[in-house]
Amino acid sequence: MKKIFFKGAFYGLLIVLVLELVVRGFHLTKDYPVRIIDENKVEKWQPNQNGFSVTGNRRQNFSEFRINNSGFNSYREFAPSKEKKEIALVGDSYIEGFHQDYQFSIGNKIEKQLTNFEVYEYAYAGYDFADELNLINQFKDDFNLIDYVFIDLKFKTDLQRGEYTVIPDRMNLETPFYRNLRKFKLLVYLNSIGITGDLKTRFRELVAFKIKPNTTPKNENKLQEVDEINPKYLANFNKLVETYNFDKSRFVLLLEKRNTPNAFKNYLKVNNFKFIDLTTDLETSKRPTTLIYDSHWNDNGRSIVANAIVNYTRQLEFKN
Amino acid sequence: MIFNSLEFFLFLFVVYALYWLVFKKSLKGQNILLLISSYIFYGWWDWRFLFLIVLSTIVDYFIGITIYKTEKQKTRKAWLWVSVLFNLGLLGFFKYYNFFVDSWIDLFSVLGYSLNSTWTLNIILPVGISFYTFQTMSYSFDIYYKKLKPTKNFLAFAAFVSFFPQLVAGPIERASNLLHQIINKRTFNYNQCVGGLKLILWGLFKKMVIADSLGPIVDDIFTNYSSYSASTLVLGAVFFSFQIYGDFSGYSDIAIGTAKLFGIELKSNFKFPYFSRNIAEFWVRWHTSLSDWFRYYVYIPLGGSRKSKLISIRNIAIVFLISGLWHGANWTYLFWGAFHAIAFVPIFLLGKNSKYKNSIIGEHSLLPSINEVLRMVMVFSLVTFSWVFFRSATIADAFSYILRMFSEFTFHSYRHPTGFRMIDYYVLIALFVVYEYIIRRDERAPFKFKSKYIRFIAYAIVILCMLLFYDSKIDRSFIYFQF
Repeated sequence: MKKIFFKGAFYGLLIVLVLELVVRGFHLTKDYPVRIIDENKVEKWQPNQNGFSVTGNRRQNFSEFRINNSGFNSYREFAPSKEKKEIALVGDSYIEGFHQDYQFSIGNKIEKQLTNFEVYEYAYAGYDFADELNLINQFKDDFNLIDYVFIDLKFKTDLQRGEYTVIPDRMNLETPFYRNLRKFKLLVYLNSIGITGDLKTRFRELVAFKIKPNTTPKNENKLQEVDEINPKYLANFNKLVETYNFDKSRFVLLLEKRNTPNAFKNYLKVNNFKFIDLTTDLETSKRPTTLIYDSHWNDNGRSIVANAIVNYTRQLEFKN
Repeated sequence: MIFNSLEFFLFLFVVYALYWLVFKKSLKGQNILLLISSYIFYGWWDWRFLFLIVLSTIVDYFIGITIYKTEKQKTRKAWLWVSVLFNLGLLGFFKYYNFFVDSWIDLFSVLGYSLNSTWTLNIILPVGISFYTFQTMSYSFDIYYKKLKPTKNFLAFAAFVSFFPQLVAGPIERASNLLHQIINKRTFNYNQCVGGLKLILWGLFKKMVIADSLGPIVDDIFTNYSSYSASTLVLGAVFFSFQIYGDFSGYSDIAIGTAKLFGIELKSNFKFPYFSRNIAEFWVRWHTSLSDWFRYYVYIPLGGSRKSKLISIRNIAIVFLISGLWHGANWTYLFWGAFHAIAFVPIFLLGKNSKYKNSIIGEHSLLPSINEVLRMVMVFSLVTFSWVFFRSATIADAFSYILRMFSEFTFHSYRHPTGFRMIDYYVLIALFVVYEYIIRRDERAPFKFKSKYIRFIAYAIVILCMLLFYDSKIDRSFIYFQF
């Protein structure tokens, strides 16, 4: 009896070691860049890091990321000047695009069409509208030199607060405990493919005497259209816009139907905010526009977004 | 509680530890533990199901004793019929009632009469009812045929009926094998336990990697068959062959392995059926516990092959049709059974139904001969074709699927419904077939390699595959639980 437990544990340990080697050897899981909060209280990546982002059990998406010396994932350094023409893309993981190789970023796709522009991608996973406007404000010397600023806005999730403060939860991931934990690549892999999450959820359910597992699909509500305007979110929007002196002449919002109510679009129109509604372009594509695993834009989706920005910029240029 | 769940492994660990650490010296204690844990295991689905299994246990326990005590042949037979009617009554009510009512209504509508379906009931099918009713019936049959003495140990009998590793999807055990082991003292055997763990690992691989990863593809093709070309429909049928094999034989391996942990040997249920050289061999290798049950309790009592050829053919047809209907209350299963009967009869008439009974493919060589490969491919093609009936939602769907398979023969590469790379699945299946061929000599020892290093590599690869093909959004239930 004892033999079986000890031998089982020994074999288990050996298998864990082998799997750790396999996960590392075949690069089955993603690298985690280091987060920082800079001297301006802006959360971003530690400058000048490289790594690989991996999605899916079997490396369905494998792409390289490159954090530039400004602390954002981009193929270029940001050096705005009066002499050049520049576009800034400000947003969250959708714009940041760790899941696509940094050389095929939305910015690069835009630059290929607007050859006289440089495109700077100020995007960071988890940013909301407060993060985005705070970033623009903190780097206003740079942003004042940039001709057009496109800001990704998801009404449903990005307007839950009306003022900027550093979010400590995300920075907790940089504590020595989490950093050391992430050194076990097998654990990172198990986490990324959902095993640890599923086990934790089921264990909690069992502790709560919930015999039947919750079978409701996790993403059931993700694609539901939002038709009503949430007054709290609208108030937060107005407060942020006012606090950070939103420049209506240069700033353009990027919206999608799946997370923005029509009423909000009407509100923006009435109040002379510029915006691009990406919905039609994305929905009419014959090929899928999102990843298999989540709703982030895939390469095709990102090309569509880039085209929409290019067309809108051309219109703005024509007017000017 | 399903085998591939967290709760099952926690449950198994606790029961196993209590069984060998606390009740090691008490047979009665071990049997009480087995009974309670089996009822917890079964009641986990729905506690109301427990009433049925308890009722079935009580009825067959007393009928067994009564048949044994009765000397008059007619009375013995009458008691046997009570047992059969009771068990088939349970099965008939919960599984077939609505099917017969609906079929009756359909028949009348064909004849021009219109009947309302007010007789159909909203009945939940108790999990595994087809398995444990057959097991308890076999007990009454064996006592009637004087092959078994009834036990007076009610506790042991109840543990035999409800033994959790094989309760919901077999292998269907005869009392002469399982009850005997439950009544007698078990001792801890290291090698048996390790063998059990290896079978559990291999069973989980077949279920989680082969069956579960092919499931979404098969579902997609069979649901949307009218929009796919023949090449995709063939792919769907082939993948279903592997899905159902991985699902059911995986379950059986876990069941046999789990029983081994408790010092109990269950009979094998699958012996590499896709390496069969004729359809008769397939039935010696596929779901053998059910085939054996039908042979002992239906085919032989009907006269088997001892009477005229015509009666033998009739008996074969009856067995296959009942076997089809046993799987479910749907015409699709009946057609599936009929198809196998039609495929079996020529082999029987040529006297080749026992030709490969005691041999395996490539028995004396590393590789199979060309003749064996061709035969194997032919049998696999026939079986795969029959699975179309088994898998389709209705008999009309099955025929449409088959029609399309033979009329729209154009090649289109298939795209996974979620977008995963299809090449991963082709490689997986190819490697699985090769590995099964390597281990084909012993279905109860999937990691039987002399070198411990090769064994270890095999364990690591199997576990790695479970991670590579893990999908948290997938439905993990077993196909055979619905039967």
